[in-house]
Amino acid sequence: MSSCLEVAGLKKSFAGPILRGLKLQIKAKTIHGLVGENGAGKSTFINIVSGLLDPDGGSVKLNGRSFKPRSRRESLNQGVALASQELSLIDNLSVAENIFLSALPTKNCRIDIAELRYNAKELLNMVGLEERLLEAPVVNLSLAEKQLVELAKALSLPIDQTSLLILDEPTAALSSFQAERLHNILLDWAHQGVSILYVSHRLEDVLSVCDEVSVLHDGEIKLTTAASQLTSNRLIKVMTGKEPQRQGQDMPRAYGDTRLRVEDLSSRDLPQSVSLECHSGEILGVAGLSGSGRSELLHAIYGFGLERKGSVILCGVGQGAKSQVEINSPSEAVKNGIGLIAEDRKSQGIFASQTLSMNVTVAGLGKLGKGLNALLPDREKQRTMHLISSLKIKCLGPSQDIDRLSGGNQQKALLARWLEVGASVWLLDEPTRGVDAESKLAIYRLLRELRDRGVALIIVSSEMDELTDVCDRILVMSNKKHVDTFTRGHWSKTLLLEAAFSEYKTKELA
Amino acid sequence: MQPATKLLKSARELSLSFDELFILLALVILTLFFGLTAENFFSMSTLFSILAQLPTLTVITIGMTLVLISGGIDLSVGSVVALSSAIIGISFSVLELPFFLAAVLGIFAGGCVGLVNGILGSYFRLPIFIVTLGMLEISRGMTYMITTSQTVYIGPTIQWLSLPIPGLGISVSFVIALIVVVVAQLLLTRTVFGRYLIAIGTNETAAKISGIRTEPYLASVLVVSGMLAGIGGLMSASYLGASDPNAAIGLELSAIAAAVIGGTSLMGGRGSVIGAFIGVLIISVLQNGLAQLGVSEPSKRLITGMVIILAVLIDRWRHR
Repeated sequence: MSSCLEVAGLKKSFAGPILRGLKLQIKAKTIHGLVGENGAGKSTFINIVSGLLDPDGGSVKLNGRSFKPRSRRESLNQGVALASQELSLIDNLSVAENIFLSALPTKNCRIDIAELRYNAKELLNMVGLEERLLEAPVVNLSLAEKQLVELAKALSLPIDQTSLLILDEPTAALSSFQAERLHNILLDWAHQGVSILYVSHRLEDVLSVCDEVSVLHDGEIKLTTAASQLTSNRLIKVMTGKEPQRQGQDMPRAYGDTRLRVEDLSSRDLPQSVSLECHSGEILGVAGLSGSGRSELLHAIYGFGLERKGSVILCGVGQGAKSQVEINSPSEAVKNGIGLIAEDRKSQGIFASQTLSMNVTVAGLGKLGKGLNALLPDREKQRTMHLISSLKIKCLGPSQDIDRLSGGNQQKALLARWLEVGASVWLLDEPTRGVDAESKLAIYRLLRELRDRGVALIIVSSEMDELTDVCDRILVMSNKKHVDTFTRGHWSKTLLLEAAFSEYKTKELA
Repeated sequence: MQPATKLLKSARELSLSFDELFILLALVILTLFFGLTAENFFSMSTLFSILAQLPTLTVITIGMTLVLISGGIDLSVGSVVALSSAIIGISFSVLELPFFLAAVLGIFAGGCVGLVNGILGSYFRLPIFIVTLGMLEISRGMTYMITTSQTVYIGPTIQWLSLPIPGLGISVSFVIALIVVVVAQLLLTRTVFGRYLIAIGTNETAAKISGIRTEPYLASVLVVSGMLAGIGGLMSASYLGASDPNAAIGLELSAIAAAVIGGTSLMGGRGSVIGAFIGVLIISVLQNGLAQLGVSEPSKRLITGMVIILAVLIDRWRHR
């Protein structure tokens, strides 16, 4: 059987290697499933094939010919259709315009509205959207409807011009009925000669619709087998890689009194309320797939979020009646010694093109008082020097621009910021993302040191090994819902992953 | 120690950065150029002509610089200069209020415009470009209303502000402008307020995560800009001896140009008050020098425009 897409030795690195020589073959006229944990490299792979990223090395062949698209347009021209997970729809345009955005029909240099409506209507019927939505601006649609529009957009390329259809989490927002309808279309398309790459967290969907399934782990394909010979448990085992060697740390540790109490916390981005407690001297992990509500939980605890409800109470801050403080905004959080290191270092963490010392001392300035109080440049310099040496930040000195530092050292600078404040509760979102191996170990050491000093830490991470290594308890989020909490000694990576996938199982008819 | 390094060291103690020294060097070269090519450039009359025009542009440029550093922009300042000047003219000449009270009223009006800008921009989260553009029209309209579109003659009783102080050679207005420069520079580099403005302008999300309540700072920097434009109105009224409702049209653009020449980034987070002041000097020297060389008005504008773009090009190249 001839192959549609043939990938060999595909390499791509950002801060660290993401794809390490990926090898994959998608046979013609088949549906090929691709599964893997967060950060395994699925999105990077899709972006390379769809022309959004350039690979560092390796070869891609489409229908036997070398394929190196330099843009999405070039890839599309060669017949690669994509329904992306981050929906690529334009809010202010109508459904019909969105579907045909890359190839709007024209007549006499104007958009041919009649033709557009006719073609779009056909596609809406196919994916099961109501015709009345044709002229509706996308912004008014529900998430499921938007996903169907995104799918219609990918299917808008005529079958004879499509050689590869890539679907990234196509059923994430769909009901089982809608998903089944989509799967029937896909089977029909494959029958008519289109090859399909089906990427999903919903293992049951993958197993039911795909001919073959590949498992991506740590930038490499670990397994490619016919779907009929697989079960979801087998897939989960391969996805997690080797079971880690048991270390001597499997006994639960003792920790102190409750430091942070979260009761029925919810927000617009965290619709189902979450309650939790984090103790002094404890590291609480938050596991889950990306988009499962982990970051939203941290943000809500910190006082961010629209329509935030419930309460976050910091305990043991002072004496008697004043020992409990409610946290309602980030500035209150910081004032009471709660620090957040957000997921995206560049856009939410560092102050780019400012000095290291400015970056390290900025959160602690509140202690100097507000507004017109004078800065203390000597103290700033001294404190920064001290933090540079205690965290071993590699730099030329306190006045070096933070942009010039490596990712790992920038992350250390963010840790230094909260050390400088003396935070007693730390919220860390992906604390070691894009960080070199050496800094990673140094960060783990620091986190344990903080824990031993009685600090309460909550860590969100996509790396299961990281969580099972440092945490005392792990809370699992799945599909914006808190599903389970495990204690050290009572977890395994398989159990954690099963919990993380649990809410993505096909929903009942909506 | 080499004289050059010595000079550098003393400049550092004045907290002049390399960027500011670089712009200062550009100013010196420009001045020397006109000194050598135009016959009477190094004369008292040229100096006075430059100094007399400076104070208004200087104070509003300082306000603009602070707003730009915080990541915003204030397009209303030109109109606020006219509004403040009109209020001072009417209350001093027509209502016969004491001079001091009239001046305070003018500055207060500027502060009020700034407060409205600030509240709409930070608490209501409206785009500050549009808010201040609207306020540019509103302030100018109010100016025409209260002056009935006529120039209000005030006369010599107010002109003492713009006349040289005997024995010193510079005017009271100029002294005030210098004080504003120094105070604003200290505010920016030596206070928590200034540091927070830089932080917010660099990365508002990171600033919030660092526990900074951004709204009051963003609002107050616009109030400062409005009040400085109010002071600019006082200076303009005194320079003209009258309140001209058409005064300072487009001055906000000159202020932005001066700030940018002085190394302030329109993207926020980076800028210098001293640099902006040197930017004002560069623009004034350029205008007067070109006039003395007999360059026509159209060519003057052409050259000024090119200098602004050149400044940004050099700045971009230096911060690569």
